[in-house]
Parts: sequence; structure tokens; C-alpha cells
Amino acid sequence: MSTLRKVWAIVYKDLSLEKRSREMLSSMFIFALIVILVFSFSFDLRVERVQQVAPGVLWVAITFSGMLGLARSFVQERDQGCLDGLLLCPIDRSVIYLGKVLSNLCFTTMAEAILLPLYLALFDLPFRLLLVPILLLGTLGFSAVGTLVSAMTVHARAREVMLPVLLFPLVMPAIIAAVKLTAGILDGQPWGEIKHWLQLLVAFDLIFLFVSYVAFEYVVEE
Amino acid sequence: MHRRRFGVGDLLDGIAAAAVAVALFLVFLVAPREAVMGDIQRVFYFHVAAAWVGYLALLVVFAAAVVYLLRGDRRWDRVALSSVEIGMVFLTEGIVTGMFWAKATWGKPWVWEPRLTTSAVLWVIYAAYLLLRRSIEDPGRRARLSAVYGVLGFVAVPINFMAIRWWRAVHPLVFDSSGAHLAPLMLAVLIFCVVTFTLLYASLLLHRLRLEWMSEQVRHLRRQQGA
Amino acid sequence: MAYLFGAYLVLWAITFGYVFSIGARQKRLQQELQRLREQAEAEDQPTP
Repeated sequence: MSTLRKVWAIVYKDLSLEKRSREMLSSMFIFALIVILVFSFSFDLRVERVQQVAPGVLWVAITFSGMLGLARSFVQERDQGCLDGLLLCPIDRSVIYLGKVLSNLCFTTMAEAILLPLYLALFDLPFRLLLVPILLLGTLGFSAVGTLVSAMTVHARAREVMLPVLLFPLVMPAIIAAVKLTAGILDGQPWGEIKHWLQLLVAFDLIFLFVSYVAFEYVVEE
Repeated sequence: MHRRRFGVGDLLDGIAAAAVAVALFLVFLVAPREAVMGDIQRVFYFHVAAAWVGYLALLVVFAAAVVYLLRGDRRWDRVALSSVEIGMVFLTEGIVTGMFWAKATWGKPWVWEPRLTTSAVLWVIYAAYLLLRRSIEDPGRRARLSAVYGVLGFVAVPINFMAIRWWRAVHPLVFDSSGAHLAPLMLAVLIFCVVTFTLLYASLLLHRLRLEWMSEQVRHLRRQQGA
Repeated sequence: MAYLFGAYLVLWAITFGYVFSIGARQKRLQQELQRLREQAEAEDQPTP
């Protein structure tokens, strides 16, 4: 079985599991929505300030709900003994990593797809097609590190707290870049000004995908 | 073997202590009084040295973590742990002295400027590392996972710095502390202080390593007798 | 000037605090180690 097929097998498994219960997707979406609402109330948004705060609010919502998805993806595996089952398969451990990243990416982007139009409506922002790749790249970086860290915290006490504590300092640059790009795109800034943020985001994604891919082996071994 | 390590450690302690004494002398009596800021500027020497060690410790953690993951020798895990702890101590000192300096010269103790923000993030990474260790019971797994986190942390810090530097470039509150206007004598004192703190770090590291080794001995004996 | 004094005070407080904590932990572990070793030896001696 080629590597791609193996990766796809894992993604397919996660997706079909979710399709039956749909609980993760809905909780992620609702959680993100709640975060956005909370921010709206806290900041008492008036028209002038909306433009400045909005991109940050979006990414905070995505980050928090993304954590939810990450936490559940591995806990589920562990609780149902699937993780051991997966590890027994004669496949490269790192392939499991790729599969997990992809399935996490799928779930988060699905939640984002529903969230984005609502978000744009609430903040009265225009839809720009460029937002889509930025969402994907930001979420990819987040998932890349997050999947690894989530696998790490599976064995830790107080894992729900450990995951954000461990993940946030690592993922910060990607969030900053994503927010800056979102802001730039929504404001219609010239590309030359925000180009370096895209470079940073892509570099982040590549670097951490590579490091996590290599490190996953060490995290999951018994 | 235990005896011999004792010897080197003692020597290092002595040199470090002497260096600290000399450094104090240099900072307070030899270094010239800064024209604009006055005497408060003398904080700068130890502030930079402390922060430098805070970051050096991260490099050591990274190296030790990688070696541990590749070789599985627990001694390297002990090095990583010790370096995180000591690094955190020095980084805290760096941040706190920086706050004193900032309050005196800028009027406020903290600004969200690249170096400060990155240092805060690094501090959190150290804390997260220690929390992680505390939350895993199996010693083998604890060593492995914290090593991985050490690697991730090391990779994250420079990327973080770049990101924040670009972010904050719009608001130029950047304080160029070691800019062109550093008199040669000041530079010499600074370098000496940096070396002093590095020696101090090395000396503390050895002590902390010994402490960890003893701790492991105790655990081992307890397990033997418990069974 | 007060800032200078305060900064150095904190600096040395933290440094010595840490050095002291290592020393204290070391002493405690040394005692524990001694106790465990003696216990092991006592168990090795067969009671007549």
C-alpha cells in the first residue's frame, strides 16, 4: 500500500467516524461562534474599531475551537484503544502523523467554512477569495504542531490544560502571521506590504511539518 | 568517577565566584557613567548577561534533547532538565532587571517590543516544559516527551522573534541597546559580564546535574527496597 | 538610583535563592541517600 493510500485510510477512518456522530464538528463550530460573540460583547464593538479587532477575533476563535478538535482527536483514539491498534499496523509511525494532521485539517476547515460567512456577516466585512488560502495555511500550521503536541499530552495528567499551555507559545508566530494577512486582505492592502507574512506562514508550516513528522515517532513509541 | 567530577565542579565554582566579584568591581567602579541615563545604566551589564544565559540555556536544552532522542542515554535528559531550570532562573532575572531599567528610562516597565515579547514567550516555553515533566509519571516517557518539546521550543523561538519583529516594526519603540554608541570600555565590561554569567551557568548546571543524579539514586534505592 | 539598587537586589536575591535551594535539596537528598544505604546494609545483615 502506497504511503498516500495509507494516509488517506486514516483520514477516511476519522471522517467516517465523525460522519456518524457529528459531535466534534458541531461542538467546534458552536465553540468558535461563542468565542466570537464573547469578543463582540467584551469589546463593545463600534464601527470604527471593528476593522482593527475583527481579524484577531477570527483567529482566536479558530485557535480555541481548533484546540477542541485536537484534544478530542487523540483522546478518542486512546479511550477506544484505537491508538494501540493503529500502532500495531505495519506502517511508518509518521504516516499516522500525516493522516492525523490531514483529518484534523479537514475538521477545522469544515468548521471554518460554516463559520466564515457568519463571521463576515456579523462584522460586516467583505468576502475576499484570498481569505481561503490564508485560512488553510494558518490552520495547517496550527494542525501540524497541534497534532504532535496533542499526541504528547495524551499520556499526561490534566491533559486538557496541558494542550493549550504547550501549544500556544509554539504556534504564536503562525497566528500572528495569519491575523496580519487576514487584516491585510480585508483592508485591501497592497500585496508588497504583507507578502513577508505569507513567507513567514509558509516557512512556519514547512518547518513544523517537517520537525513534527520526524518527532512523532519518538512521541508515540511505547 | 564521582570524586573526579567533584574536583572540576569545585574549580568551576571558584572561577565563577571570582569572576562575579571582578564583574561587580568592573561594573561599579571601572565602567564609565553613562551620559544620558546616569547610573541606572549599570543594570544593563548584568541584564544583558542574564538574558544571554537565558537563551544559551535553550540551545543547550536543544542539543541535549536531540542527543537524548538519538542515543537514549538518560544523562542527556538530566542535562536538558537542569538547563531548563537554570535557564528559567536567569531569564527571569533578565526580564526583571529589564523591567527596572525600562521603568527608569522609558517610564514604563514593559513594552510589547520584539525582544521582550520573545523573552516572555521563551519563559512560558520553559514553564510549559517543567509542567509537562510534572504531569507525566512514566520516567522513560517523561524524558522522551520533554525532549521533543525542548526541540520544538528551540525551533519556535527564532521564528517567534522574526514574527514579532515584523509585527512591531510599525511602532518603532525599538531600543538599540548595543548600538554604535557603546564606548569601548563599556563593551569590554559587558563582554566580561557575559562570560561571567556563562561561567556561573556552567557551575550551576554541574551542581544541578549532580542533584538530579542523586535524586535518581534515591528513587532507584526506594524502588529496590519497596519491592 | 533606587531602581539600580532595586534591580541588583532582585538579581542577587534570585541568584542566591536558587543557589540556596539547590544546596538545601542536595542536603536533603544526601540524608535520604544515607538513610536508604544504611537501611539496605541493615537488611543485608542476617539477624542471628
